Amino acid sequence: MEWLMWFTRFENTKPISLLIFFITFCAILFYVFGNKKRGERLESYKNMPLQDD
Amino acid sequence: MDHGKIEKNLGLMLVLTMFAISIGGLVEIVPLFFIKGTVEDVRNADGIKMVRPYSPLEQRGRDIYVREGCYLCHSQMIRPFRDESMRYGHYSLAAESQYDHPFQWGSKRTGPDLARVGKKYSNEWQVQHLIAPRSMVPESVMPNYPWLLTTALDTSDVADRMTALRVTGVPYSVNKAEFDNNVKEFGADVAKQLHIPDAQKNLIEQAQTGKYDGNAADVTEMDALVAYLQVLGTMVDFSKLDNDNFVKFR
Amino acid sequence: MASVAIGSGEQYNYDIVRKFTIMALIWGAVGMLVGVFIASELAWPFLNFDIPYITFGRLRPVHTGAVIFGFGGSALFATSYYIVQRTCQARLISNGMASFTFWGWQAIIVLAALGDVMGYSQGREYAEMEWPVDLLIAVVWVTYAIVYIGTIMKRKEPHIYVANWFYLSFILATALLHIFNNLAIPVSLTKSYPLFAGAQDAMTQWWYGHNAVGFFLTAAFLGMMYYFVPKQAGRPIYSYRLSIVHFWALIFMYMWAGSHHLHWTAIPDWTSTLAATFSIMLLMPSWGGMINGIMTMSGAWDKLRTDPIMRFLIVALSFYGMSTFEGPMMSLKDVNALSHYTDWTIGHVHSGALGWVAMISFGAIYHMLPRLWDTKMHSAKLINVHFWLATIGTLLYITAMWISGIMQGLMWRAYDDYGNLQYSFAESVAAMHPYYAMRALGGAVFLTGMLLMLYNCFMTIRQAKSMPAGGLAASAA
Repeated sequence: MEWLMWFTRFENTKPISLLIFFITFCAILFYVFGNKKRGERLESYKNMPLQDD
Repeated sequence: MDHGKIEKNLGLMLVLTMFAISIGGLVEIVPLFFIKGTVEDVRNADGIKMVRPYSPLEQRGRDIYVREGCYLCHSQMIRPFRDESMRYGHYSLAAESQYDHPFQWGSKRTGPDLARVGKKYSNEWQVQHLIAPRSMVPESVMPNYPWLLTTALDTSDVADRMTALRVTGVPYSVNKAEFDNNVKEFGADVAKQLHIPDAQKNLIEQAQTGKYDGNAADVTEMDALVAYLQVLGTMVDFSKLDNDNFVKFR
Repeated sequence: MASVAIGSGEQYNYDIVRKFTIMALIWGAVGMLVGVFIASELAWPFLNFDIPYITFGRLRPVHTGAVIFGFGGSALFATSYYIVQRTCQARLISNGMASFTFWGWQAIIVLAALGDVMGYSQGREYAEMEWPVDLLIAVVWVTYAIVYIGTIMKRKEPHIYVANWFYLSFILATALLHIFNNLAIPVSLTKSYPLFAGAQDAMTQWWYGHNAVGFFLTAAFLGMMYYFVPKQAGRPIYSYRLSIVHFWALIFMYMWAGSHHLHWTAIPDWTSTLAATFSIMLLMPSWGGMINGIMTMSGAWDKLRTDPIMRFLIVALSFYGMSTFEGPMMSLKDVNALSHYTDWTIGHVHSGALGWVAMISFGAIYHMLPRLWDTKMHSAKLINVHFWLATIGTLLYITAMWISGIMQGLMWRAYDDYGNLQYSFAESVAAMHPYYAMRALGGAVFLTGMLLMLYNCFMTIRQAKSMPAGGLAASAA
């Protein structure tokens, strides 16, 4: 279990997690908003609740 | 890769959701059970553990503390600030609540912190304050607890309670080997109190000799609760310890 | 009720939605009444009357249980059953199981309240119920999950609407939290000891406590928002893409933030720093939801003048935005050093609970009720009065708690010229009295609104029953 201690040291985990989260965040944003066609497809479901009557 | 797939596939959505909500708890809680420094090992010069499990009477008092919901207005966790150490005493150690099932750190101080209230006031003060708080502290908004003094403590199931706590890991002893180990860890006097077969006898003896409610004749809920309050925060003798030792745990 | 099967009533199981809606109203009134009473106990302690069963310590869990699980829980059951059927175009898979979740859940609330009053407590905030009730909760919850997931499985629509994602995450997370936080060794039917102790127990409890807020009182109510806001505004949600991003971010990040309830305590420093970091980041997904809701209404602003339900929804979203800003701020260690243990926390909880959770539920129930009973609301004017009482009550409440909380924090750490503590603890208690009275007043105002709603809804249901079946069917849709 000693290797777990590596993660408890902030000088190790801070830059690593910052990097991981920032890249993930950018990737998600790019995926969701980066491509117009994909964007339109993702938006196409928003009318569902208005069609249920 | 298409998020639309997730939106149309219930199984996939459930699995991914479960994954997303599990990580945080796993990373933050699971290590606490394995990292040794989470709970300090506080011993005196003879190698005897300073923090011990509660005696049968104290544990029953703690049960009443939980029953009455005291934790909703009183914390038991002193933070490492100057004003708190002046008001309440040395900041709380994780070791001091290592036998607390459940923990009673609290989240609100409508009344003062009680982590080190033990021995601060006399038994008589505690009894009077519990019966009629405003007779001792006029500003208090605490309810009166007069029935504690008139209700006999149910001592019949104290051994069952300690047995359940033993299952959770509190070192109460049931046999000679465990008893001997407790003698080594906590000293002979404490070990006697932790022996489950003698629980009821020990409880009554402590209540009668301790005179917590001012009356040796009977064992009331007041005896138990005051016995508990009087031990709070008194187990660790900070004058015998190097303070810097604790900083590394924080 | 079931005999009057009108219109879509046959297509969907509305009977269960009606039952849960009525109980949400009743538990709301009961829970808030207890809340006003215990608030008054703090201002005027003679109200404890030396009766064990009604002391603050025993009634407080009755209050939290009745409002969170009774009112909030019933409102979530009602809206989730309503939404899942309508967005999936499918009837609930089983009337019997749905009915079991209703009676089971109501039994849980009653048993929990009785247990609290009797002093059968696990001593864990928001999880005071002893183990037999915990087991019943687990059984009801699994049934709920089966009904909900089963209904989605037989949906006519290939796509699962975003409101259902939030409800699904709420169902899963609540199950996970409930099970792990209530691991205990029983002594008798009414007493048990938690498996964990001290620091580990604290971490488990606040992982539960915080995420009860995160999933029970936030994610699930966002699900409610994602259906009723577009519905009431008559416009689709502002950005479906934003909802995708903020959904995953919200459910992922919430679970990390629990230990910000344990800043400066005897848990390892890294857990508390990690929690603070995630709490700050949580501002983004939280505001993602708020922006999505508010922007949906933009362009329909004129409706605010005429539609009191829209007012409830927009004010709910505003309070949601405000308290999800306040929360991350209070999770900063330096702010927390002042705010923790004080009334500020109580004020923060209520700006979320009254301002967000209750207001969005009021809006949703006012929207559903005429559709469920196929009629019109008894009085639109009373809805408007309710709106103002709820808003004023909430503002009074949180203002009182801001002042008293900050004042407590400052008084506790004040020094005189010689470096001694300036105030005794008792002096800080005495200084709170006017604000505790003001808080009780704010709560009473809010409760009055709730009672008006109860009356209004009761009259609506009565008038619906006295009408010939299908009388308003055309106009209600």
